[in-house]
Amino acid sequence: MDLAIQDIKQHKGRFLATAIGVGLLFAVVLSYNGIYRGFLFEGLSFIKTTNPDLWVVERYRGGPINEESIVPEFFHYSVAAIAGVAKASPIIFFPVEREILGKKRRFAIVGYYVFDGLGGPQKFAAGRGIRRAHYEMVAHQKLGVQVGDRVRLGLHTYTVVGLTAEGSTPDGDPLVYLSLPDAQEVLFQRDNEEIRNQRERLLRSLTTPGAFPPLEAAKYLPRLLPDTHLANAIAVKLAPGADAAAVARQIEKWLYLSVYTTDQQIELMLKGRLAKAKAQTLLFRIILFIVSIVIISLVIYTLTLEKIRTIAVMKLIGAPNRVIIRMVLEESFILTSGSFIFGLVLIHNTYQVFPRLVVLRAGDDFITFLIALLGAILASGLGVWHALKTEPQLALGEQ
Amino acid sequence: MDVLKIEGLSKIFGSGRLEVRALEDISLTVSAGELAALMGPSGSGKTTLLLCVSLILEPTRGKIIFDGETIYHDGWSGVDMRRQRREKIGFVFQSANLIPFLTARLNVAFPMTLVGVEEKAAEARAMELLEYLEVGERADNLPALLSGGEQQRVAIARALANQPKLILADEPTASLDTQRGKKVMELLGKVARERQTAVIAVTHDARMIEGFDVVYHLQDGRLNHRQ
Repeated sequence: MDLAIQDIKQHKGRFLATAIGVGLLFAVVLSYNGIYRGFLFEGLSFIKTTNPDLWVVERYRGGPINEESIVPEFFHYSVAAIAGVAKASPIIFFPVEREILGKKRRFAIVGYYVFDGLGGPQKFAAGRGIRRAHYEMVAHQKLGVQVGDRVRLGLHTYTVVGLTAEGSTPDGDPLVYLSLPDAQEVLFQRDNEEIRNQRERLLRSLTTPGAFPPLEAAKYLPRLLPDTHLANAIAVKLAPGADAAAVARQIEKWLYLSVYTTDQQIELMLKGRLAKAKAQTLLFRIILFIVSIVIISLVIYTLTLEKIRTIAVMKLIGAPNRVIIRMVLEESFILTSGSFIFGLVLIHNTYQVFPRLVVLRAGDDFITFLIALLGAILASGLGVWHALKTEPQLALGEQ
Repeated sequence: MDVLKIEGLSKIFGSGRLEVRALEDISLTVSAGELAALMGPSGSGKTTLLLCVSLILEPTRGKIIFDGETIYHDGWSGVDMRRQRREKIGFVFQSANLIPFLTARLNVAFPMTLVGVEEKAAEARAMELLEYLEVGERADNLPALLSGGEQQRVAIARALANQPKLILADEPTASLDTQRGKKVMELLGKVARERQTAVIAVTHDARMIEGFDVVYHLQDGRLNHRQ
């Protein structure tokens, strides 16, 4: 006779309510596992999606994602000339907030050499990559645009030619890919009124008495206006067999730039921009898990304590300890498993509605279940200990 | 045939100035089919005697012979008493003490499954016992849905489940009105006579002992007299 099943059968409502309550708690724990993973995934997403062999950035800067870095676009020629470099191309990564199809949206603009450069989109959910030097864009599908949409950015309108499903900013915002000149124009080009004003101011400065005559000043003027030929980093692909550390040393020594491998970029992020948020999320995840285990343990221990008089009766009529232990453990296992399955099904069917990415992994789910089960077994152990030291004569008194 | 023989049984709680002599030099014999009542005021040692007989409480000294086997002798007890209780002793409590999440039928079948009777056979025999005790129609009800008297009958059926040699009943009528109490005592008498089971029933209500074969009076842990 399965006493645990009989008990559950007779208390279906209470068991279901308890399982749903504990299951909701499990759902929160599992969602937080996913939030933590999603946070790390998004934090490193652009680095991993771009994945060049080396990132060349402004000297002493931990850029371009962990910290801002600005390098002149033409530096890629110098980098490409270093022995061991197969290809070097400038890339831009720049978070912005702009109006897209009538709604304010946060996203990051990624500019790259569209014909033979590094750093472009790799996998497409729809459409194709950029094939023209200007006025085409590829966006992450999270941006809410469709292939064929025309989007105004800065001075020009861009046609969406492709959608990606991978890559985001560390804040979870979508990426928008443009050709490098388009990205430079959108990000660094002032609007026409501002250019006119700046030109006027410069011209007045140059033609002050004792400086330049007006004609000569007009000749110098374009060279003194702000340069838009900038990038945030130079992505490098190494030649086969090239030593990354040696190439990095050469670039740092001769070009006065800083160089990181992709692994070092990831480390920079983990120790820099993501560090505190990661620690906070991890800590909260641990606290949440401990609270859940304590609550589950209390529920199971209370369930056992409720049966102490019944257990005393069982002992008095001669039930061996194994019958009592089995009842307590089985009930604990059924409750923990039932609750966990409820939580698991719930979170696997709702994680898409979270505003940021939630990455659910079978390994995390399994470890969570094992630890919860361990907690339940420990609580059951306490219950069993209590049950086994219950004196059978407890059954003899008045109820 | 003697089912239970007690010789010079004593139980002392505590020691020195805190010593309490709960039972002192008790000797009695109960035979198969005999209905024995233990009477006495509260605190006279009735329940303690039942606990000592079933070795739930270990006596301080004396000798207990149960079903022809010495189960206790001056501090020695070499038997698995939980097994003895499972196989040879039935209990009826002051309140029915049924397992709340088992139906009446399963409450009666449960002790049988503990001694290895197959579940279906146990349930069939449980049904027979419930019908014998006139609560067959309530077999599929949970204890909470039964009246006090019905619960006590189910408890007697449970006590009979493994055809015990001895039934120990601790104030089985205490929570019932007089009429239902008498009915329960009659049923215990019926069980003793028809199934040749020895019954020791503790009670302090003199109205309940009609038809008992022997009545032992306990006073301050001593067996005063037998009638």
